[in-house]
Amino acid sequence: MDDLIVKTITRLIVPFIQLYGIFIILHGHISPGGGFSGGAILGSSIILFTLSYGLERASKKVPHKISAILESAGILWYIFIGLIGIALGGTFLANQDSGFFMGEAGRILSAGMIPLLTVAIGIKVASTMVTLFHTIIEED
Amino acid sequence: MNNIHFPVYTLLLLLATAVVIPIIGKESFSRLKTLMMVTLPASWLLSVMTFLKVNQEGGFVYNFGNWSEKIGIQFIIDEFSALMSLFILTVSFFVILYSLKDIEHEIDPDQFSGYYTLIFILLFSMVGITFSNDLFNMYVFMEILSLTSCSIISIKRKKDNYMAALRYLVLNTIGSLSVLLGMALLYMVTGHLNVTEAARNIAEIYQLYPTNLLLAVGFMVTGMGIKAAVFPLHIWLPDAHSSAPTPSSALLSGIVVKVYIFTIIKILFKLLGIDIVNSLGVPQYITYFAAVGMIMGSVFAIGQKDIKRMLAYSSVAQIGYIFLGLGLASEQGLSAALFHVIAHALMKSALFLSVGAIIYKTGKRDIRELNGIGYEMPITMTVFTVAAFGMIGIPGINGFMSKIYLSFAVLDADKPVFLVIILISSFLNAFYYLPIVISAFLRENKERKSIMALEKIPRGMLIPMVCFALASIIMGFYPQIVMDVIEKAVPTFFLMGN
Repeated sequence: MDDLIVKTITRLIVPFIQLYGIFIILHGHISPGGGFSGGAILGSSIILFTLSYGLERASKKVPHKISAILESAGILWYIFIGLIGIALGGTFLANQDSGFFMGEAGRILSAGMIPLLTVAIGIKVASTMVTLFHTIIEED
Repeated sequence: MNNIHFPVYTLLLLLATAVVIPIIGKESFSRLKTLMMVTLPASWLLSVMTFLKVNQEGGFVYNFGNWSEKIGIQFIIDEFSALMSLFILTVSFFVILYSLKDIEHEIDPDQFSGYYTLIFILLFSMVGITFSNDLFNMYVFMEILSLTSCSIISIKRKKDNYMAALRYLVLNTIGSLSVLLGMALLYMVTGHLNVTEAARNIAEIYQLYPTNLLLAVGFMVTGMGIKAAVFPLHIWLPDAHSSAPTPSSALLSGIVVKVYIFTIIKILFKLLGIDIVNSLGVPQYITYFAAVGMIMGSVFAIGQKDIKRMLAYSSVAQIGYIFLGLGLASEQGLSAALFHVIAHALMKSALFLSVGAIIYKTGKRDIRELNGIGYEMPITMTVFTVAAFGMIGIPGINGFMSKIYLSFAVLDADKPVFLVIILISSFLNAFYYLPIVISAFLRENKERKSIMALEKIPRGMLIPMVCFALASIIMGFYPQIVMDVIEKAVPTFFLMGN
């Protein structure tokens, strides 16, 4: 799609979409939304970019290899955080019992490992959406 | 050295391997092989340790994140789930060992990493279902299992595979949703998703809401029945299992359908308890369907020309045996069913792998073209013969022992009519397995003289096949090795009011 208006609007709007996605991910433990919805918003910003600028430029921004690595890294990060719980004497994914910083309810820095897990989920979902979309239009 | 986290480590190791494979396996297949041959035996060892621990010290529960079972996720590691996870990993280790060579003939090299990612997620979800003590978690693992099996079936990029995969997907989605509806109905009245917690007040609920409970069980058993291919719901199985790559046929037919049977056993006997299930009359109906399946699966198998389709139909008949044992709802019946789960997995894997070796070497899938193949591939056909004799029920092979156990269980439950059906089904099995064995060893091939030749199959394919055949024979002569463990596991399902 080679259209000046679409391109300009996309260029203006993509940073805000991404900022909103990151906001949703980071506030996963205290407000509606979380890893999945935030990740979907982040992923859709890249999809919007691909739609207006074409696959070639988009895959320069987010190469296939990087998004594949991020996909795996999301899960591995989740497993790693869960294993910390075991290492510190609790069970898998133990939060308060393994001494994560709980903080004050309602603040960003609270709820122990949950923000770290939502970040993992957000990375995973965003990169999966991008990989899926790019794979589908590559085969077209 | 033995701690309670080993089941979780098993699960995480499988998941981590699945996600690492796409990163490192894209360029070189040998690195991928090394990775798998390290992590799979490691997770197998962990499950062996779990199994030994459970047998020495008894079962235990594992709460994720130290949440109590009322709100959290729980694993139950008792004699049953430890045994079955060990069994799943053992069978799949040999099948994956075989697949390393065979897969080069089945799919394109650029799909290897994708294929093994799917296989490891498949193993992950199977072990997860076996350990899970939480209804919704079981559902999630089941959904993962269905989706990965569907992609494994469709990986070959042929028209047959896409048709089979679509059929599988549609029917299994109906199954999943019906299971989910059943679980929702159950949750509505019990207020717990945890199996142990829900079982605690189920007797009271049965007094209050009998229809609701019947509906829930009906939905769940039917949904699992679709996934486990009980007779009238089996129509997706022959296409799916015959068109998939051979190693995955062995996995799908040997263990994937069994995992759903474990879930049925858990729901019927752990959650509802034997008394309620009997008064609802569920086991009785299961035996009827099982009996019809035992006959009809074999009848359909007789008409098949494609050898892999024939094996797939034979699976339908054998699943009938397992459900018959389950439907007797007695300790002997359940023991016989679990024994047959293991026996059938060994025999059917041996059959599929030997057929895969024939296809690998000669490319022949038609039963009528197999004349004299026993002289061309002696070891492969010996493996096939051993497993086929086991299916028929020749003494000395594990199939015979499971039929004996099942027959005693049937007589013990005072239902001798099923004994006749077991006998008829055995004769029908002989009807379609023996002609292959006879034509392989006794008929002349037109192209080739019947001279015994050396086997030209890679050793990596030969060893797993022979291991399965040997295991079948050992289990046939010493059934007590397996039966002792099963007899320890089965009573946990009949302890009510705990």
